[in-house]
Amino acid sequence: MNASFEKIVQYIKTHCEADDYSLHIMGGDNHETRFAQNRITQHLAGPDLDITLNVAFDNKTGSASVNQDDPHTLDHLIKTAQDIARLNQPDPEYIGTAPAAQLPQVDNCDPATKNLDPKQMVEYVNQVIQRAKTMDARVSGMTEKHHYERLLFTKGGFLGYDASTSFGHSMTLKKGESETKVSFAAKSYAGFDPQREFDRLQDQLESLVNQQSMDAEKIAVILRPSALGELLRYMAWMMNRRQSDEGFTPYTGQMGKLFFGENFSLYSTLKNPDITASSFSSEGIPSQEITWIENGVIHNMPSNRYWAQKQGHEPKEYFNFYIPGGNTSEEEMMKMVPRGLIINRFWYIRPVDMKVGELTGMTRDGVLYFEDGKVKHAINNLRFNEIPYQATRRILALGPNEAVSPSTSIPSLLIDGFNFVDKTSF
Amino acid sequence: MRYLDLAIGKALDLGAEYADIRVQRTTDEVVMLQKLSLKNTSHNQIYGYGIRVFKDGAWGFAHNKVFTEEAVLATVQKAYDIARLSALVNKEQQLRLAPERSYIATYNTPVQIDPFCVPLTEKVDLMMEVNRTLLSYEGIQSARFFLVSHKDEKLFASTLGTRLELNTQWIDPMITATAVHAEDSQSRTFDEGGRATGWEWILELDLMDKARQIAEEALIKVKAEALGPEQRRSLVLDPNHLGLTMHESVGHPTELDRVLGWEADFAGISFATPEKLGNYRYGSEIVNFVGDNTLCGGLATHGFDDDGVPGQKWHIIKDGILQEYGSTRDTALEIGLGYSRGCNRATYYYDQPINRIPNLYMLPGKEPLTPSQLIADTEDGVYIQGRGSFSIDQHRVNFQFGGDFFWEIKNGKLHRPLKKVLYKSNNPEFWNSCDAICDERFWRPFGVINCGKGQPSQTARMTHGSSVARFRNIRVGGSQ
Repeated sequence: MNASFEKIVQYIKTHCEADDYSLHIMGGDNHETRFAQNRITQHLAGPDLDITLNVAFDNKTGSASVNQDDPHTLDHLIKTAQDIARLNQPDPEYIGTAPAAQLPQVDNCDPATKNLDPKQMVEYVNQVIQRAKTMDARVSGMTEKHHYERLLFTKGGFLGYDASTSFGHSMTLKKGESETKVSFAAKSYAGFDPQREFDRLQDQLESLVNQQSMDAEKIAVILRPSALGELLRYMAWMMNRRQSDEGFTPYTGQMGKLFFGENFSLYSTLKNPDITASSFSSEGIPSQEITWIENGVIHNMPSNRYWAQKQGHEPKEYFNFYIPGGNTSEEEMMKMVPRGLIINRFWYIRPVDMKVGELTGMTRDGVLYFEDGKVKHAINNLRFNEIPYQATRRILALGPNEAVSPSTSIPSLLIDGFNFVDKTSF
Repeated sequence: MRYLDLAIGKALDLGAEYADIRVQRTTDEVVMLQKLSLKNTSHNQIYGYGIRVFKDGAWGFAHNKVFTEEAVLATVQKAYDIARLSALVNKEQQLRLAPERSYIATYNTPVQIDPFCVPLTEKVDLMMEVNRTLLSYEGIQSARFFLVSHKDEKLFASTLGTRLELNTQWIDPMITATAVHAEDSQSRTFDEGGRATGWEWILELDLMDKARQIAEEALIKVKAEALGPEQRRSLVLDPNHLGLTMHESVGHPTELDRVLGWEADFAGISFATPEKLGNYRYGSEIVNFVGDNTLCGGLATHGFDDDGVPGQKWHIIKDGILQEYGSTRDTALEIGLGYSRGCNRATYYYDQPINRIPNLYMLPGKEPLTPSQLIADTEDGVYIQGRGSFSIDQHRVNFQFGGDFFWEIKNGKLHRPLKKVLYKSNNPEFWNSCDAICDERFWRPFGVINCGKGQPSQTARMTHGSSVARFRNIRVGGSQ
């Protein structure tokens, strides 16, 4: 464990007088190079630290956070949190902090990525800019690396520590009216090749020629993993056990029932080497294999420790996302429906109706129209109003998995009758 | 503070063409009450400094939280080294900074009662009372009160000789009641979006009265009918709704960094490109938008931005025509603008400042007109209050908005309450369809405290405002 974290823990253990407390420490080091229109526009680096102390006297709670770890600041942290708790009204939903727990072994850290030289990162940027210039195009994006350490200690006896790294490179290429994007994100930069990524970007851009106007309609779509990833974030957020039990979401009364499409499953897993997994949640819930949805049946929903205790089930939180895919290629998918669209990415997804589970959003970074098993041309971007759980009931095929973030592995999906309701001018 | 001079001196010694240091302490007090349970009562402080160095047409930015001479000097060196690395890529296309003079100044948000000096017990007592009032209504299943008090204390110094001390504050109460009825649940929220002022604003608001209003309206809303199929109708929009619409469809498209494509990979670009300045009909002739970082109570009123440029007031859209953008020192010269409009802001000390929306508002109508007269003059339409679902494309053309409370207007009267209303429109159709704006008696400001933008992501605040306004022939209907 990081020695400075250990020192903070010892200080809090010695000086905090509260009946109960939890201490969260998050530290890291970041380097981010942002480029736009073939030049670097922002370039920043520095360390992070956040120390949060939650305390309780009986069931009166208080919390404070600081970003300095000297004794004077830690005294201020303890006093502030304790003063708030002493003055506060009792919280009827307060339960004690998490007890000691056996945590799974995880491996989220790549030392080479932690030590990646910023010169190398700038060289990646330079290479993609030079490629863009040779094709008279403009590229914008960001190259970033992060190293994080996280600790949770509770008076109840929980002690958890995680370290992780991440490397990301995203870029949007624009030439004429066509623009598209690719992104790479993993715990290690080892698999990253800027030339190969640019090849992928260039191929994607060149597929978008001959754009034609198309009106919104219900139509089959192939959602590439990056598009599904955007939808998944909101689907997962809406699946909250308490919200559902209290009647605020479409999942009310659906636990244990077939609700999603029968070929749709969602897990959090410690067993997939392609995705990272934190070993504990912010509340001190140890990560374990979780089946959220299997063959369309809801098995679990995220539930915090209070609600789980009250309702008599185990607390659970997402720690990564795994949707098992299939073997159907994009070419095969195109032959399975008379016509449809290939969606690279969604953008600006927002809830329209929480109770119904309806979302809206736009396509982005290239939409392709296919017919008779072949791509015909690119089209303008479209707006959808769709209910994702209902859309999963119309899944016709699943493609192979891709990691769209260090902690998310999902496939492409062929979905029939996706509900587009409006178009835009580009 | 001696570190300011130390950092600036070191940057000049290294050969920086420009450099600044921003020492910033951000303090938040957050109280979140849900169904009489205190989910979060916290006091949070983030303190450190960020140093920008400009060298050979490129930026380097480094930040630190350690206040020693050694750490400050090392951070300047790091920023300089990063700028030199960036410059290797920017050789053929260097960034340039618009000229600016030096200032020695202080700015403090006008505050009568400092929210951080109001006892926590007083705040929690008020919040509990509001929560109990909401839950006393049969059918209200959830009651939430979120109260945040925020302050930023900044010291800024630059190689231009500027020395600034800026102390800004804002406060935001947000109350939500959620009703469940039959197979539906619907919420109604009181949210003015925050204001740069003190606790005196909370006392003026009469939150108990607001609580009763939103509880009653949540119950009306959950039992209301949906609007049905989409049709072209008139929209009468309240200022607290229009604040979000103008934020998304006018504020973001007129940020100069988006116009230049600097957000192409993330937040998107803008349809409002420079050749449209002075000739593009963005709205009807009665539509006037002003950027105003001098607005009293405005969340973007800081005295100076994080380039050290003073707050200004200027027309962004005049008589319906696009006039100018919100700009920064590193974007202005890109379109030949010889000055910055002072829109460069960072959220925390560790953020590199970026081009943000200023306080941006629509001027009231010039002719006397009340909301009642406007509704009486509307045959078939929907009156929308509050903020709901919102989504817009990455060029800021096509958008879809919901709202928080809806009335159908028939033959000049509020005919029936509605729920699940959406409208779809685009630029420039929407603002050109504006045919009536109530007068200045009905002009009201509304804040935005969660404007996300940038990589790494930052959250900025600004204030919008308008009078009640009408928009003709807009596609309005239910969802799906």
